[in-house]
Order: sequence, then C-alpha cells, then structure tokens
Amino acid sequence: MAKPKIASDWMCGCAGCHMSLLDMDERILKIAEMADLRSTPITDLKHPDESGVDVGVLEGGINNTASEEVAKMFRKRSKILVALGDCAVFGGVPAMRNFCGVEAALQQAYVDAPSNEPGSQIPNDPELATMTKTRAIHEVVQVDYNVPGCPPDPDVIFYVLSELAQGRKPELKDELLHWH
Amino acid sequence: MVQLTINGKQIEVPEGTTVLRAAEMAGIQIPTLCDHKELTPYGGCRLCIVEVQGFRVPIASCTLPVSNGMVVNTETPALKKSRKFILSMLFSERNHFCPFCQVSGGDCELQNAAYREEMTHWPMQPGWNGYPVDSSHPYFVLDNNRCILCRRCVRACAELAGNFTLSVAERGAASIIVADTNVPLGESTCIKCGSCVQVCPTGALIDRTSAYQGRETEITPVKSVCVGCSVGCTVTLRVRDNRIVRIEGDWEGAVNRGVLCEHGRYHPMTESRQRITTPLMKKNGKLEPVSWDEALGAIAEKFKALAGDAHNGAAAIASTRLPVEVLTAFRQLFAEKLGAEMVTSTEEGMTTAAVAALAEKQGPFEGRLEMLKTADTVLCIGANLARSHMVAGFFIKRALPKGMKLINIDPEGDELDDLADVALKNKPGSDLALIEGLKAIIIKENLGRVPMAVPNAEQVIAEAVQATGLSLESISLAARMLAHAISPVILYGKGITAKRDERLVESLYSLATLVGAIDKERMGLLSVKGEANSQAAAQLGLDKPFSLNGQKAVYALIGDDYVSKYLVERLSKAPYLVVQTAYESKLTEVADVVLPVTIWSEQEGHYVSMDGRVQKAEKVIQAPEDVRDNLAVLTEVAMRMNMPVKIDWQKSLHERKASVVIN
Repeated sequence: MAKPKIASDWMCGCAGCHMSLLDMDERILKIAEMADLRSTPITDLKHPDESGVDVGVLEGGINNTASEEVAKMFRKRSKILVALGDCAVFGGVPAMRNFCGVEAALQQAYVDAPSNEPGSQIPNDPELATMTKTRAIHEVVQVDYNVPGCPPDPDVIFYVLSELAQGRKPELKDELLHWH
Repeated sequence: MVQLTINGKQIEVPEGTTVLRAAEMAGIQIPTLCDHKELTPYGGCRLCIVEVQGFRVPIASCTLPVSNGMVVNTETPALKKSRKFILSMLFSERNHFCPFCQVSGGDCELQNAAYREEMTHWPMQPGWNGYPVDSSHPYFVLDNNRCILCRRCVRACAELAGNFTLSVAERGAASIIVADTNVPLGESTCIKCGSCVQVCPTGALIDRTSAYQGRETEITPVKSVCVGCSVGCTVTLRVRDNRIVRIEGDWEGAVNRGVLCEHGRYHPMTESRQRITTPLMKKNGKLEPVSWDEALGAIAEKFKALAGDAHNGAAAIASTRLPVEVLTAFRQLFAEKLGAEMVTSTEEGMTTAAVAALAEKQGPFEGRLEMLKTADTVLCIGANLARSHMVAGFFIKRALPKGMKLINIDPEGDELDDLADVALKNKPGSDLALIEGLKAIIIKENLGRVPMAVPNAEQVIAEAVQATGLSLESISLAARMLAHAISPVILYGKGITAKRDERLVESLYSLATLVGAIDKERMGLLSVKGEANSQAAAQLGLDKPFSLNGQKAVYALIGDDYVSKYLVERLSKAPYLVVQTAYESKLTEVADVVLPVTIWSEQEGHYVSMDGRVQKAEKVIQAPEDVRDNLAVLTEVAMRMNMPVKIDWQKSLHERKASVVIN
C-alpha cells in the first residue's frame, strides 16, 4: 500500500505551529517513513496535489479572501482536514481584531500607532486580498480534527500525525489536550 | 442521616447536605464553576447538573438537598453532552481566548472544565462583544471580558468581607460586575481585601503582582501565619525562585477560613522601604559599612560593661512583630543576664497592660474570635476594626445582614458607624463613664442576667450623659439592645487599653457579666490587642512604658517593623544606640550601630494571637547574603558577652497569668 500523503499550509497564524512541528526533532523522520510529506510552507512544493492528499494540515485562522481560498482548496484536496493550533481552532490572537472590527484595526496599525510615519496610509493595492472577520477554520469549511494549543506541543503533533498516518483516529485528552 | 445512591454507590450523609457535597464526601467529583466551599450555593453556572431518578430534567446538584432514597447519576452520556453544551455557551459569550491569559495552563477552572469534557474546540464561536475593563484598582484589574458571571466575587465580597462593594449590573448577556453604583473600583468602597481575586475561577480578576509570574504548578505553596496584626490569620504563601509571588488566605485556616485583609495580602507585596544589607557603624559621625565581627564586637564590649547596673546601664526595646523565640531571648539577655530594668516592647503595653492587670487577679476571662460567629449582638468599643484587625471586622460585617446587632462606640467614629444599629461618638476620655452608665441603665431597668447592684444609679447615668455628651436615649438604646441579646459579645481595642487604666477593663468585664456575655459557658469578651505578638510580649512582661533616665546604651530590636516618630524621638536621646533592623528608617539615621536582619518571611518562629492561639510562621525565603536571622544575632551578641541565652519560650508564655487561654 502506498504511504498516505500529508500536506500542510499556514494562513493567519505566526508559523509557530510549524516551528513546533519541526520541534519534534528526529521523530519527523519517523513521520517521513510512515507518510509521504507533500507540500508544506517550508518545503519546495507549495500546493497539495491536485489528485488529493490523505491528510491536510492547516495552521492559522481565516482572515481574508486569500486564506479563505487556501482553506477551501485544502478541504477539496484532503480526505482528512486537521486544524492545527489555537488560531486554526478558535481564531486565536488575530481574532482579537473582531472585537473592534477590521477598519479600526487597520487604522490603528497603519495610521494611529505612534510608530507610524506621519501621513501613513492603509495599504490599498487592488492586488491585495480583501480583509474579512477572522474566523476559525471550522466556521468556513468542515474540519475533521481540531488540535488546539498555542502552539500545540510537538508530542501532540507527532501523536496526531502518526495516528493519522497509520490510519487511526487520534483522540486528544488528558496530557495531550492543551489550549495554551 | 439520609441515605442515597450516587453512581451506584450507597452513601449516608447528614440531612441538609447538598447532592454536590454528598458526592464529594463519597469521592465523586462533579464539575462546577460557581460553587465554592466557603460561599453559599448559588446555582449559577449549571455545570454541576446531575440526573436524579424521577426528575424530568437534569438538575443543579449544588443547590439540591439530599433526600432519602434518592438515586443520582453524575456521568451519563446525556449529562456529558449537556455539560459540553453549557461550556460552549460560556465560551461563546465573551473573550475566552486562552493563549494570552495569565491563568491559562492549569489555574483556570473554566479551561480545566473544558479539558475534563475533552473539548478540542468551541462548537459556537464568540459574539465579539467587548466588555469594560477596570484597571483603576491598585492591586488588581477587573476584566469583564473574562467573566463567566459565576458571582463568586460578589458573594465573597458580601459573605466573607461583609463589604457588599461588588454587584452585577445590567441583565442577561449584558451583565457585568461593577463596584458600588458602577464607579471605578479604585474609587469605590472596596477595602482591598482581595477575597474576590482569590475566588475568581477564571482570569477576570487579575492580580497585578502575580499575573504571569508562574502558574500554581510552578510555584510552591507554603502555609504560614500572617504577622500583620494579632488576629492570627493563616496564609498560603506562593513562592518561586526565592520570591513570594502571591499571598493567599488559607482556606483551612482556623481563624480566617481563607479571608485576608489588605494588610495581610497586599502590604507585604508592596514593601518599598530600603533594605539594609550590611552592618553599619558610626565612624566620624557617619554610618559606614563594617564586618559583622566588628559590629558585634563593639556592641558586646559596650553592653557587657553595663551589666548589673539596673537603672543607669542598658535599656532595650523590641518590636511585637517578632517571633516569641526572639522576644524570649531578648528578655533573657537584657532583663535577666544584663539586669537592665528598662526592657520593654515597642507597644509599651498599650494594648495589653490594662488587660494583663485584670488577668493577674482573674485568670483567663477573654474568649476566642469564633465567639463573633455565633453572636447576635456585638458591642465594639475603641477597636476601630475598619482600619486595623480588619478580619475581625469582617466577622461582624458579614453577620449584620443575618440580623446581628452592632453597637459601635468610638470617640472619633469609624466606618463601622454607618453599619451599626447604634453608633455612639462619646467625648474623648469618657469611656469609663459610658460603660458605667450602660451598666447602671441595665441594672436600673432590671434587665441584667446576674444580680448586680449600683448605688446611685440615677447619678451614674446622669454622669454618663454629662461626660459623654450623648443623649440619655442613645445610651439607653445601646444598653437595652445589649441587655436583650441572647448571645452578646463585647469586643474592645486600643481605645480602651491605651490608657493603661485597669478600671476600664474591669468595668467592661463587669458589663459583660451583667449582660451574660461572660458566664459559665461563654467567654464573650475579647480584646484585639495590637501587633502579631502583643500577647506574647505581654506574657513576657515586655509591657512597660519606655523612657530613658540616664541609661548609657540602648538596644532597639526592630526587625521589619515600622518605628513611630515618638519612639525615634525618645531613642535618639540615647548616648549609644544599637538598632537591629531590616530597613532604613529615621531610627537607623541616629544609630551608632545598625545590624541588618531578616524580615518576617526569612525567619521562622511562633506567634500568639489576640485570642491565645500559638501558631508557627515559616521561613519561606532565603535572606540576602550578609543579612542574619534575628534570633541568631541576639544569640551571637549574648555569646560574645559570655552570657549565653537558653530559651524555653513555651514555658515563658505561661509564667504570667494571661487574659486568654494560650495554647
């Protein structure tokens, strides 16, 4: 039997969950033995196979039209979709802007913050994706496994990936369940 | 006893027990958020729902009393589903994003509850409504965004501190915790006891000093005694890396049951005095750092030469905040070995001497603070419980809504006046006339519990009215209220004892007997004393007024205490002054030798509370390098004078008759 294919990507996150993934040290070789690691943000291949992968892993929440597209593509191409980390699962820190709204957040970040040059403007290049409310992935597409944590512990990531690679259902509880 | 079955387990519990407590007794944990064992059940969070056979729907176990034959289940699949739903609703209400919350990772009861139900995400996302944050308080921040409206803080404020500052404003999802009539916490009637912070199950009440300083699993809890005053509250000190991160009331504490006041919880955390870390000696009119050897050598030489000269030799004064071991060694060295006459404490008997005088004749006549818990009427005189010995004040304030009557007597008046049924602001110096007046009215109106006669009752009453400047009606009202009480308690403080007038205490004692506060079964008379070891200092006889009459050298053992201006004034007249202290002060400025010593948390030792409880304070942190232990310094001074001290402090405490039962 061919090894299951795993692909990952990051959206509105800080890359910390992928750092935590790398933090599993030599165990990543075990994952590589068990599974075929396809596209990831830290390898050459940038998009999951059009023919589909067995497991898609997404870090970060959905905060604009671009990340919405990524999420939808991953859902379409993955048999199993994993939301990795607090931003993917809950919206996380970027979701804090929902309390004030996109406009106010942009105004503060690009204009009002004291560190901005006088006369600074909110970027308005038409090429840019349109900002939206920050959402957890499960608000946009169906998620099969939510793996919370900020970031999830390397042990947790290893457990989830190795279980999925071996065709089992990971169960997050007790020591493996953390939201922080 | 009531028999019931919980999860198939047959158990027997006392009638009136709630199902939640019954389950706990049987070792079955039911998750809950609003429940707290020191607060009345509220039934707000619904997390503790259980299934009871015969009941149509699940029911909150925290407010459900047990009944015979009840069959309860706490962990059915339907209940687990409901609990998950309840938690989902709580998470969807406000900002419960964990990564940047100080209690995340073990200290948050909401997060722990979600883990227990194995929740990996929120089925319902939040509504993104912002709620007010109040950071006007000096010691903590109230973030309504983290609040789950369990009302533990509101109940703690009312039921534990008796202060009723916190309440809930608005309705439904808009509900927020507010102080008074929605004023900033820092400008409210808050008395800064911090009980609300200690009971908060989430990160809604943020302790300024300890937030992000380590989770409970990373900090070591050490039980000890608060040395802020003589009440004797027990504390849990949370320590990390040789530093106290937070002070909490000990829920198991015999006296305080988890409650502390500002003096106990926050003052030690905001200490700003400059620490002295090396011995200092006056050289050419200036204090200069010296070695311990040089400082101790100089002191020993000076004091040894004064041995045997009771009047003009040495004098010594010690703080009543020091452990009894230190006080015992202090007395032995200076009074017994050196033979100095003027050996006393910084309180100079202001809170104990008048009490001790009656105790000499009478034996123990004062009861324990618990008396306040069963009292129906309290006469509080000269104690100012709103400022000092605040936890004793909490016991009164929390009982007032349950119907306890309060008569507050203070010439200056205090915050308790507003809550008192009768508040008497008598003219200064008229306490004795007032107490005698109260007695005379009770005797005249034949309301006394024991036969007692007063010649010229009318005249005594007239004198009381005259001396106090109060109306006959108000004094009579207080007298009748006290006389009609079933379980009265009389509590007095420095206002009575500072005059060192034994007649005042005797008069109160006789009033207490007259109204039945003291009888064969009850000891409903208490005095709050002063600092943490006032009672111990009294037992050691360290209670005379301090004055210098030609003494050649004075040893001031201050420890970590504050020094009054008046004491500095008198001590600065000493020809040679040794100050054993932890902090720089006006007193160290006039010292000839300064010995840097440990503070309360750096030394261990015993304390005798106002009501005679002997409790041990622990050493929880290591003192700075060149700082020495108070007892070790005294012992070393004694050794160098060839007058070694050997203390038996337990025995010393019983040398003299005490007003309280010491054990």
